[in-house]
Amino acid sequence: MSLPPVDVEAVDVDVAIIGSGGAGLMAALHAAAAAPGIRLAILSKGIVGRSGCSIMAQGYNAALGPDDDPERHFADVVRAGGFLNDQELAWALASDAPGVVRELESGVGCLFDRRADGSLDLAPFPGQSRDRKVHRGHLTGVEIIGRLRDALFRIAPRELVDVRALELLRDDAGETAGVLALDIRRGIPVAVRAGAVVVAAGGGTASLYPVATASHEKSGDGLALCYRAGLELRDMEFVQFLSVGLAAGRSIVTGVLLEEGVRMAGAHLLDGSGERFMARHDPARMERAPRDDVVRACYTEIHAGRGTPDRAVLLDARPIGRAELERRFADIVARTRKAGRDLASELVPIAPAAHIGIGGVVIDPDGGTSIPGLFVAGEDAGGVHGASWQGGNGIAESTVFGARAGARAAESALGHPPGRPGAGQIADAVRRVYAPLGRPAGPRPLAIARELREVMWQEAGLVRDEPGLRSAATAIAALTERADSIAVPGPPASNPSWQEALDLRNQLLVAGIVVAAAGARRETRGMHVRTDHPARDDGRWLRTVVVRGSPDGPVVETRPVVLSRLRPEAPAP
Amino acid sequence: MVAPEPALAARVRASAGPPPGTIEVTVARSDPAAQRDFRVERFRPMVVLDLLIAIQREHDPSLAFRYSCRVAACGTCTVRVDGRPVLACQTIVDDDRRAARIEPLGGLPVVRDLIVDLGPFLDRWRRVTPFLVPVGADGEPGRAVPTAPDRGAIDEDLDCITCGACFAACGMAAADASFLGPAALLRAMILVADRRDGAADARLGVVGGDGGVDFCHGIGACSEVCPKGLDPARAIRRLRRWRLRPPR
Repeated sequence: MSLPPVDVEAVDVDVAIIGSGGAGLMAALHAAAAAPGIRLAILSKGIVGRSGCSIMAQGYNAALGPDDDPERHFADVVRAGGFLNDQELAWALASDAPGVVRELESGVGCLFDRRADGSLDLAPFPGQSRDRKVHRGHLTGVEIIGRLRDALFRIAPRELVDVRALELLRDDAGETAGVLALDIRRGIPVAVRAGAVVVAAGGGTASLYPVATASHEKSGDGLALCYRAGLELRDMEFVQFLSVGLAAGRSIVTGVLLEEGVRMAGAHLLDGSGERFMARHDPARMERAPRDDVVRACYTEIHAGRGTPDRAVLLDARPIGRAELERRFADIVARTRKAGRDLASELVPIAPAAHIGIGGVVIDPDGGTSIPGLFVAGEDAGGVHGASWQGGNGIAESTVFGARAGARAAESALGHPPGRPGAGQIADAVRRVYAPLGRPAGPRPLAIARELREVMWQEAGLVRDEPGLRSAATAIAALTERADSIAVPGPPASNPSWQEALDLRNQLLVAGIVVAAAGARRETRGMHVRTDHPARDDGRWLRTVVVRGSPDGPVVETRPVVLSRLRPEAPAP
Repeated sequence: MVAPEPALAARVRASAGPPPGTIEVTVARSDPAAQRDFRVERFRPMVVLDLLIAIQREHDPSLAFRYSCRVAACGTCTVRVDGRPVLACQTIVDDDRRAARIEPLGGLPVVRDLIVDLGPFLDRWRRVTPFLVPVGADGEPGRAVPTAPDRGAIDEDLDCITCGACFAACGMAAADASFLGPAALLRAMILVADRRDGAADARLGVVGGDGGVDFCHGIGACSEVCPKGLDPARAIRRLRRWRLRPPR
């Protein structure tokens, strides 16, 4: 069967924003503020303001306490990041966050928890030297994204709902001309012509693993789109895992996050035979060892076959007691109950859950890239967090850099109407995207996606070595070849299988980049652990790994980190 | 050290043990020719969203439904199970349940199968001016202090995830497109109570006018089905009072 020619719908705007989480919504508001009357389109793979992971944020780190300042927040970010951060990005995060919180409160209308004296209730978060977690109960993300979405009604951009980005469009000079997208409901391609594009699609590296906290629609679309456009990705070897992902067997709720706080409050971690396995890893601190050490110990135990039959370890929160659990962790108790477990009286299976891709597109502090008119913000961007991410900095990054990128994109688009996309770009991409629908027979995407996640867990997870990474690269290449012949039945409109095929294409690309970057970093730092290079090596490896595409596959380079503000030997402020 | 529990290994095995049989699932489909009855293999734990994913993966890859976060934050997986609007990710399939009937939310146009067009829901949300209109454009805003009287009303009903369950459960909202419906009225109540907002009078005019609080029959289905435990019916009662005597 061959496909009929596909008509391409055209949309003309000044700025196109891909994604409707914290970064995309802030980009829209700040583009509108920078250039009132500017024509905006916001593309969302799902419902606007209800897709992606921003909505799940528990808290927002901002140096607002009387004993705090942006310098301290910055130093926490850089120290946790093993000094691999782009320090100018980390500084932008720490210095802008207080102002953005104020804007969210007084301009956007968020209600954050306050104390009786009226001051913001700044809660502690592990890894922060000061209490700086701004929050609304445990539903901080719902409050921030809900109110940002409400604010979108004020500026009324064009909303392209259930529309996924496919490829960046560029004119003959190589500058941004817009984005080619796909209307998922109608199954038709949409060419959004725009003088500037903000990519804020939420990363997707975490979704490469079988147990992940990420929302359903994340599949590395933004990363892949930028990579295919020739941009460099950095720090892709770092994927943040957290130890407390719920292991619920085959259920889709596997991977939803419990709270590290439960562990810190006195819960025990048991292996499949009931032993407190932290005794083998950190006998002094046991379960109160640093977060990244604990998650690595969980992975090691499971990998060595000492976990439960369904590849989990066990969280024993009984020592904390029911009253304390219900008081401090009511949400987590409820969440666990959905999986049929009572945290206060039963052991709860947990597994390391991939939470956030730390790496991403190389940007400047305003989200700018090496392609004129193209901006990247949020989890699609790299460099803010270095080698390890800290809770509370995710939604801060999205909103801070979304605001910066949106304002700059508006300026860039003004007086710079989009050029004509280079010849053949749209036709080539449309042909490739629709190909699986036209094939009479071939593999289905789901089977390949499952194999990919298994390879990533086994060989490119929390503990890595050269032979494993080589075998992962070979496996990904083979899966990619199989994916090239995927066939999906059904029409283009609202076809979930076809969307899975398109997701898979991007996931395979991103997986290959993660593995290439992990192979290049021959040391251990942050979330990247090499058993064949087990030590952190500041002498050789205060360098960032950068990957860019070529016709022959990923090209990997390393570059020295610029220690522009803080050096590793600097004493604590 | 806690002594290893002898029964532990057995308990862990039991939890991963054989699934308790199958469940008969009937799903509303847009295409009259599409399969709608499925016998789905059970596993434990299992939520309604698992049923839909199992059908899509093992029976009919064309089944269309929506979900995103899996933790009751995005509110996009709302469907009706045996007539009641629920979040598919939060609704456990009990061992003793033999059958389930899954349908799209009522009162909204169906895009395909279980996916609905939220347009009518969002149109009404928009009509209450759902965003903050700050009192003073510059300077320190009025802070929402927890002990202030307005905060009580706000805090009780703040965490709406716009899942549409209340809207779908409300007979009036489905029947009369002019009725603002429970979710939009709840949003309006919060903004009217919020001392940082300067548009309370206009908003009270909207909710007190045609399609406003007087259209509510007070049945309370909205509060009954809210997956976050919010109480839109109470919000509507508050607005009725505030219409006569504003809260601030």
